[in-house]
Amino acid sequence: MLMPRKTKHRKQFRGRRAGISKGQLDVQYGDFGIKSIENGWVTNRQIEAARIAMTRKIRRGGKVWINLFPDKPFTKKPAETRMGSGKGSPEGWVAVVKPGRVMFELSGVSEPLAREALRLAAQKLPVKTRFVKREADLFEG
Amino acid sequence: MSSDRVTLEVSERGADQVGSRRVRRLRKEGLVPGVLYGKGHTRAIVVDERRLRSVLTGPSGLHAIVDVVIEGQTTPHHAVLKDFQRHPIRGTMTHVDFHEVRLDRPIQASVTVQFVGESPGAKQGGIVQQVSRDVQVEALPTGIPEHVELDISELEVGGTLRVEDLAAIDGVTFLDDPQTVLASCSIPRGITELEEEEAEAEAAEGVAEGAAAEPSDESADTGAE
Repeated sequence: MLMPRKTKHRKQFRGRRAGISKGQLDVQYGDFGIKSIENGWVTNRQIEAARIAMTRKIRRGGKVWINLFPDKPFTKKPAETRMGSGKGSPEGWVAVVKPGRVMFELSGVSEPLAREALRLAAQKLPVKTRFVKREADLFEG
Repeated sequence: MSSDRVTLEVSERGADQVGSRRVRRLRKEGLVPGVLYGKGHTRAIVVDERRLRSVLTGPSGLHAIVDVVIEGQTTPHHAVLKDFQRHPIRGTMTHVDFHEVRLDRPIQASVTVQFVGESPGAKQGGIVQQVSRDVQVEALPTGIPEHVELDISELEVGGTLRVEDLAAIDGVTFLDDPQTVLASCSIPRGITELEEEEAEAEAAEGVAEGAAAEPSDESADTGAE
């Protein structure tokens, strides 16, 4: 599962998720992709589940790009614990996603298969998504 | 070739239609702000979004020669679409750049590469990968092709196709290094390997669970005794 090899600090602030994504706004490597249309935290488990769902659907013959990396640790307090006594312990890793980010890309498969594979992947993610194609195709098509 | 010409009527933007707040209002009205430059002058323009889309989705695509006619004038400005910006979520056009060109002087442009034919390597289980999607070309504005075709019918597994393998087009010069790789065919990291990995991981988890469950069974047994 994706996670940083080493970090400078064990715990981070939650941060804010305002605005739209700063980069990765278009399909850059593949032919098709899914774009987030809302913001959220995507955990490394969700990324892995989406990847498996996609690769199982396309079997052989496609290439997948993951444009997310879960580099933010999130913490959780144990169940039935009273408030206070400091921040909880690190529980997992998330990638911060803002609207407009192309999270997964696919190439080497037909469009109907790509749509279905990316639909299955999108079901594993906690954000609303939209299927997108390479920009040049949108205008030429 | 982008020999077909399309006419686009635009209005010049005055001082009251410049600046982010005013431009935002224009966009709300279904207009797209833009700029027309070249031949020593620059003009801020505004164009109807529907008309712009119909021009850019014509047979020549993004390489069409656009005859930009400014409202109140009759002389067309021959221009090519140099750049455009789109809203990252809505997908609407937010800005366009038109570059005025002379039709008798060559220009440089980026043209997409399209594959033709079927690769024998793909039939053997390889994946054809498009390494570079665009090539830089130099040609007269009317001679810029919409796309260049790359024949992949001789692309075997482990093989590559380069800029030098592109079919020559009359009047078009490829500016990229001839050794630049455009396409390659390789055997993918098989799904079987992935499945094996997953099976191994599941087996490892199963062993760990079993190991955790066994002592409790034993303790239950000993308890019963």
